[in-house]
Amino acid sequence: MTLAAGIGYALLALGPSLSLFVSVISKKPFLILTVLSSTLVWLISMIVLSGVWRGFLPLKTTTWWPFGILILTSVAFQEGLRVLFWKVYKRLEDILDAFADRVSKPHLSLTDKMQIALAGGLGHGVAHAVFFCLSLLTPAFGPATYFSDRCSQMPFFFVAAIIALAFVTIHTFSMVIAFNGYAEGNKLDQYSVPIVHLVAGMVTLVNLAPGGCTVGIPLLYCIAMLTLFHCGRMVWRRLTENQSR
Amino acid sequence: MAQNRSSQSVLDTMGEEIVRILAPVSLCMVLVVILVSILNDSSATSSISSIATMAYSETGTDSSWDKFVGAVLNSLAFVVAITVVTFVLVLLFYFRFTRFLKLYMGFSSFLVLGFLGSEIAMFLIEHFSVPIDCITFSLVAFNFAVVGVLAVFMSKMAIVITQGYLVLIGVLVAYWFTMLPEWTTWVLLAALALYDLAAVLLPIGPLKLLVELAISRDEEIPALVYEARPVNCDNLDPRAGVTQRRVWRDRRIENSNNQIDSNLSVGSNSTLNANALLNSNLDGSNPDVTHNATNLVMENAVSNPSFNSNTSDGICSDRNLVRAEEGQVQETDSELSAPLIDHGTNVQLNRAEAVSNANSMLEGIGLASSGGIKLGLGDFIFYSVLVGRAAMYDFMTVYACYLAIVAGLGITLMLLALYQKALPALPVSITLGMLFYFLTRLLLEVFVVQCSLNLLMF
Repeated sequence: MTLAAGIGYALLALGPSLSLFVSVISKKPFLILTVLSSTLVWLISMIVLSGVWRGFLPLKTTTWWPFGILILTSVAFQEGLRVLFWKVYKRLEDILDAFADRVSKPHLSLTDKMQIALAGGLGHGVAHAVFFCLSLLTPAFGPATYFSDRCSQMPFFFVAAIIALAFVTIHTFSMVIAFNGYAEGNKLDQYSVPIVHLVAGMVTLVNLAPGGCTVGIPLLYCIAMLTLFHCGRMVWRRLTENQSR
Repeated sequence: MAQNRSSQSVLDTMGEEIVRILAPVSLCMVLVVILVSILNDSSATSSISSIATMAYSETGTDSSWDKFVGAVLNSLAFVVAITVVTFVLVLLFYFRFTRFLKLYMGFSSFLVLGFLGSEIAMFLIEHFSVPIDCITFSLVAFNFAVVGVLAVFMSKMAIVITQGYLVLIGVLVAYWFTMLPEWTTWVLLAALALYDLAAVLLPIGPLKLLVELAISRDEEIPALVYEARPVNCDNLDPRAGVTQRRVWRDRRIENSNNQIDSNLSVGSNSTLNANALLNSNLDGSNPDVTHNATNLVMENAVSNPSFNSNTSDGICSDRNLVRAEEGQVQETDSELSAPLIDHGTNVQLNRAEAVSNANSMLEGIGLASSGGIKLGLGDFIFYSVLVGRAAMYDFMTVYACYLAIVAGLGITLMLLALYQKALPALPVSITLGMLFYFLTRLLLEVFVVQCSLNLLMF
């Protein structure tokens, strides 16, 4: 529905990420590079998944369990990749600390590490939003709009955009929680992130049912709020601990 | 105190050089994608006749094999033409016809900006129905082209204008290339990546000869090259850009001069008349501590915000003046501006001098003598051609190809730091870009569309 609507949908999905980028990430070039590499890593993960599942597509939408398996395998693969991402980050941290020693600057502080985790999460969120939402928005710039059968109350683009927003939130802040969990050795955090991801993916299965999106999307937003809240509480705790030390 | 210490972390400065070359490349790609998406759905695909299509003009009715063979013939013809022209360029440079080369480059920039720019402007005028008459248009186009030629070749202008015009030239030529038929474009990109690899790395390659000639004569190659702003003290660019002479510099000269420079800089800093505070901090200190001293001054002068800029200005200007007298522009704490690739080369170098290691390596990465990274305009053009071609299919391929090209550029920069010689920037990025384009088009798109249309996301 014209240029304004197209831009509107794009900003709906990516607006908070854009403001995060402009306010926090763009100040430090290293974080920009982290966002780009993170986006690339998750793009590669999606290409691998699509390569694996290409033979089975297109799936019939009458049964829901093939989709369930699809989501299960995809989430499992991505969570495995997250652990790998953490290992690479640990090595990078050592290299950065060694470099800091050489130029006689302080080691990476807690806020630095959390910013790198945030940049990594933002890369993940942006990759999701770009490939699941933005790349489908091309028709939205034209003169018409499209309504999906199963969710006929709102234009399809709008629904896709708000789901993408929820997932961007979940991905961005899950990475911060996960990195903190790995750093502190907190088992609860380490396991809650994959579980939250899986639950969020499964909740979207509800959208397969007619009119299911009226239930699915609010549930998704509850999960996003939960992630946001948990991350905020954890960051607050760590910062106050760090300062009191 | 803790606040100021944390604001000095390594994260602030690292990777800045890479971002400074990524930004214009991304801008060029974005502009080409916008042009392609605006102009290509309005008019029918009009194929152009050029050197690149002289062997075969693709029509819609040919079979795939015919198209492929035709595309290969086209690309072969184009690559042969480019090779011949590059050898002619090397010959002219060898016989020191530098002035002729500069004039020719200026003339071709004028043609690109004037005629190609006007043609694309007319497409846009036609699309948006802009009411403009031909006299105004020709006047504006002429002025635009002349300023562009001056900015890029003839005189020193504000660096933003030069960089802007270079990006614009890249956009115009790239858009023109996207008007080639599809198969020809892809085979041409692959052929050019191979040609670039051969021309820069093989001993008989024309580009390698050119670079070596330029180094041995200590002259600058007259060519369209984008140079990113050097990282440190960039508020002084007009004064600090003494001479952008060499591409690569001999490390031995670097080392000895660095020792002299570090002593001189400390001495000259004490004569700063702007900051008495600074003098007391800097007397008798070595350059490594100078930076920390700057920070201390900033802490003390918190109540006086204008003081801070004077401080950094003062230090930087004196450093640069000193080095300008020495005939080179290099900062001792420029190690901070060394990007991520620092650790790689330090493993390679056998010498023990810690400071000079980073400096010589920075001199190696920073192809310009002022430390900024240089990227040829041809690289801009062909990256944008790839992304523009991807835009003609769908936006998903655009994003995938953009990420692939950026990754390829990053890898090339790391290899640059590792091998410390002129490297071709096309092969890695184009290979990754093409790979991601075909993978996305064949695999990812079906997967993602299937999931998203059912509102299933993960």
